Amino acid sequence: MLGQSIRDDDGRQGVRWNASGVGYERPYFAFLLNTPALLIIVLLAGYPIAYSAWISLHKFSLKRPRVFDFIGLSNYRQILESDEFWSALWITLAFTGLVVVIVVVLGLAIALLLNREFPGRDIVRTLILLPWAIPPVVNGLMWQWIYDSKVGALNGLLVSLGIISEYRGWLSDPLSALLALVCADVWNAMPLAVVLLLAALQRIPVELYDAARVDGAGPLQLFGHVTFPWLAQPLLIVLILQTLSAIRAFDVIYVLTAGGPGTATTTLTWKTFLTTFDSLDFGLGNAYAYTISLITLAIALVYFRILYRRGDFEA
Amino acid sequence: MIAWWTSREPSQRWSQLLLMLGGLLVTIYVIAPFSWLVLTSFMHEQDALSVPPQWIPVRPTLSNYLTFFDPSGTRAVVGSRAAEQTLPSMLNSLIAAGSTAALNVLIGAVAGYGLARFAFRGRGTLLAVYLGSRMLPGIALIVPLYLTVRTYGLLDHLSALVITYLTFTLPFTIWLLKNYFQAIPRSLEEAALVDGCNWWQMFWHILLPAAAPGLVAAGMFAFMTAWNDYLFAVILTSTIASKTMPVVVAGFATDVTTERTLMAASGVLAVIPPLVFAFAFQRLIVQGLTSGAVKD
Repeated sequence: MLGQSIRDDDGRQGVRWNASGVGYERPYFAFLLNTPALLIIVLLAGYPIAYSAWISLHKFSLKRPRVFDFIGLSNYRQILESDEFWSALWITLAFTGLVVVIVVVLGLAIALLLNREFPGRDIVRTLILLPWAIPPVVNGLMWQWIYDSKVGALNGLLVSLGIISEYRGWLSDPLSALLALVCADVWNAMPLAVVLLLAALQRIPVELYDAARVDGAGPLQLFGHVTFPWLAQPLLIVLILQTLSAIRAFDVIYVLTAGGPGTATTTLTWKTFLTTFDSLDFGLGNAYAYTISLITLAIALVYFRILYRRGDFEA
Repeated sequence: MIAWWTSREPSQRWSQLLLMLGGLLVTIYVIAPFSWLVLTSFMHEQDALSVPPQWIPVRPTLSNYLTFFDPSGTRAVVGSRAAEQTLPSMLNSLIAAGSTAALNVLIGAVAGYGLARFAFRGRGTLLAVYLGSRMLPGIALIVPLYLTVRTYGLLDHLSALVITYLTFTLPFTIWLLKNYFQAIPRSLEEAALVDGCNWWQMFWHILLPAAAPGLVAAGMFAFMTAWNDYLFAVILTSTIASKTMPVVVAGFATDVTTERTLMAASGVLAVIPPLVFAFAFQRLIVQGLTSGAVKD
């Protein structure tokens, strides 16, 4: 398997092969090769992130574009003192927490299922990629149509099964709107978790299971002592990737709920968008954006710390 | 089916049946929501609005799809201009996503090779910069990018979109291709250099073909990221000169006066390219996702 071969040849040879006389020792050449990529990333990610910090320290609104007054951390103070921020933060936490927990549990269950042999397994393994291939905007549109309060498929299904007696507006009640949004995002995000966890499961040597069985381990012990230790790192990766992508969820919110009803699904990302492009308050909007960046950065640092121990990058 | 049943150990039969039931449930979960969108796109508007829902279209029709090809027809006038913009925006999306994919493979392969083969000071920092920039939320970059793009008069130009997408896709491409190049034996390129190829000939004729699966996977991920983007497209584009498909499709979804069957058809069209890729290159995608996410 490819993943395996890459892990074996982890580039440590790079150091040893240095003097082999084919030019590997020319560092400027390696930098030259990286110049185009680095230019693009520094100019279009590094510069904006710095510029964004600078704007967030100013009073700057497109409604009065000539005003660009330095006001220090006032925008941040305004954010931290506003109820809107805390409400958006809690909704972000609730949304992210729900999405991540459901994706991990559901993803793990499906991965464990698809790791067993049964007729038709290969078809299911192929089909699982379907939700992954759906653009988030289309995903939002699809669920909006399913949740529709007057003619939606969900209402139709539940009524004909006798579970509810009349059609409901799933997106007009604060709690059910949040849950509906979570379900829609989970559907879109789940395949990535399945693919990553299934690949990890397939890397577990079969002999480990055989040995444990000989020692008399039951199914639960097999999972606890053999499967889980091998899954710990991939699970962590899935956890972090899903957390980051749930925090930045935007398209699906835009199409499905637009932050509503009221502010029931107004996450930090959506609040940033509204402040910036609806109220046109670029100063405050950037302070919001920077707050999200800092939260994301904190999570990313945890990612680095746990996955990449010191010196790993030189490998 | 009966042969399968009798060929199994009695104790295995029930566990196999349970697993198949699980597989069936997963299949339904994955397929049902999307197939409802597809079915709707083949319905007449009044059938789609029936209560209870008409699960199977009684009188299937292609009229929704045909509307996109006949922008001056009567149906396209209903609601917004989204119907007449659907096909042109699809072309915009193909150009933007295609260019992003091609530039990714080119720039990313060169950078990835450098990182895979050379031991040099700053290599770790460089890798960290690439990985770190993957963590940045798009919403944090959008305002400065918007202001910059506006300054250079590139608002509503596809080129501004492509450059933006490169920022998001290159780090992943570079990591992915670095991993692929590391898996290719050095003896291959050394033999070529000994035979008198210069570096560029060796890279172009020997190394790139050997890394072809990685290049395809990287290009595909970049294509899909660019194809799916909504946030940057909605801010940086304004007219059909550069509007991409998600912008037009979202326009359908947020406009209450649009016909729902037209909306469904535009959604299905927007799904076709990524869906074709996903199933045509299934193995490459699974390999790529895995090797791009795990460390080294």
